[in-house]
Amino acid sequence: MNRFPILLARVMVAGTLIAATIIAAGLLWYLSAHSGEPPGDHIFRGEPKYFENPVQMVRRTFEPGVVGERRSLVMAGIFLLLLNPPVRVFLAAVGYLMERDRLYAAISAIVFAVLLLSFFW
Amino acid sequence: MTGPLFDIAVAAASFFAGLLGALIGLGGGIIITPLLVLCFGIDIRYAMGAALCSVIATSSGAAAAYLRDGISNMRIGMFLCIATTIGAVCGALLAMIMNPSALAIIFGVALLATVLLSLKKKSEALVEPEDSDPLAKSLRLPGEMPVAGKPVAYGVANVVPGFIVMWVAGVLSGLLGIGSGAFKVLAMDQIMRLPFKVTTATSNFMIGVTAAASVGIYLKKGYLDPALVAPVALGVLAGAFAGARLLPVAPVKLLRIVFLVAVSIIAVQMIARGLGISIG
Repeated sequence: MNRFPILLARVMVAGTLIAATIIAAGLLWYLSAHSGEPPGDHIFRGEPKYFENPVQMVRRTFEPGVVGERRSLVMAGIFLLLLNPPVRVFLAAVGYLMERDRLYAAISAIVFAVLLLSFFW
Repeated sequence: MTGPLFDIAVAAASFFAGLLGALIGLGGGIIITPLLVLCFGIDIRYAMGAALCSVIATSSGAAAAYLRDGISNMRIGMFLCIATTIGAVCGALLAMIMNPSALAIIFGVALLATVLLSLKKKSEALVEPEDSDPLAKSLRLPGEMPVAGKPVAYGVANVVPGFIVMWVAGVLSGLLGIGSGAFKVLAMDQIMRLPFKVTTATSNFMIGVTAAASVGIYLKKGYLDPALVAPVALGVLAGAFAGARLLPVAPVKLLRIVFLVAVSIIAVQMIARGLGISIG
C-alpha cells in the first residue's frame, strides 16, 4: 500500500468538499424561502420517510410548488458526506485484494458489511 | 431567534467548537451537543444527529492528511473498526429506546470521563516489535512510522483487551452521537501501547468509520434534521480547518485549561438537565 493511501486521501478530501458545497448551497436556497420562520428543533418530531432514500431526496428537491422540500437538497449533500467512510472502507478492501492480502481484504469486508447493514437493515 | 439568524448563531457556535476541538485534540462532537442542548434549547436527539454528522465530516478531512503522511496504521485501524462499528450499532439501537433524560445524564458522565482521560499523561513505555502480543504478530499489526525521515518499527501489546475497550468506545459513539476519540486513544495508547502519533492518526481514521455505523440508524429514526445538520456540520468543518492552521501559533496550554474547566461545568449541567434540575 504505497500509492494507495494517497489515492484514498484524495478521494476523502474531494468527497468532503463536494458534499460541503452542496450542503451550503442547499442551505442558502432553503433559507431564501424560509426566512422568518421559527426553527422547530426544540421539539422532536422525527423526519419524513423519504429522507431514507437518496433518489427520492433529489427528486423532491426539484418538484415544483413545494418549497418546504428544499430541505431535500441539503439532505442529499449530507447523504454524500455520510457515504465517505463506507467508500473509504470499500476502497481499502479493494486495495488489499489487489495486494493479495486475503486476511485484510476479509477484515475490511467485514467492516463494510456492518456499515451496509446499519444503512440498509 | 428566527430562521437565518438562528442558523448563523448555530454555525458560529459550531465553528468555535470545531476550532477548539482541533486545537485541543478533542473532537467537535462532544462539545457541540451540549452547546446545542443547553444554549439553543434543541432536543438532544437532533443535537446528537447533527454532531455525529459533523464528526464524520472532520474525520474525513483530518484522516486524509494523516494517511498521506504515512503515520496511521491502516491494518490496526481496520481490525479495530470491527469492534467499534459493531459497538456503534449496539449503541445506536440502545439510544433509540432510551429516554432523552437518561441520555443527557450518560452524556454528562462521558464528558467528565473525557476530561479525566485528557488530563492523563500519555504512556511512554513502548513495546519492541519482537515483544508484541502473539496475536498482534499473526495479524501483522506491528508497523513502522517515519521519525526524522527514517522508518522506526514499533510493537503492539494486549490485542484482546484493546479490542474490548474499542467495542465500548463504539457503543458510546452510537449511544451519544460522539466520535469517542478520547476512548479510542485510551485503548490504543494505554492498553495496546502504540506510539502516540500513530494512536491519534489511526483514531482519526477510525472515528469516521465508527460514526458511519450508527448514522444510518439515526437517519432511519429521524434524528437528522437537515436544517440543523447543515449549519452544524459546515461550521465544525470550517472551524476544524482553521484550527489546524492556527495550531502552531495558538496558546494551546492555556486554552486546554480554560476548555477543560468549561467542559466540566457543561458536564454537570447536562447531568442536572437529565435529572430535571435547572442550574443558572
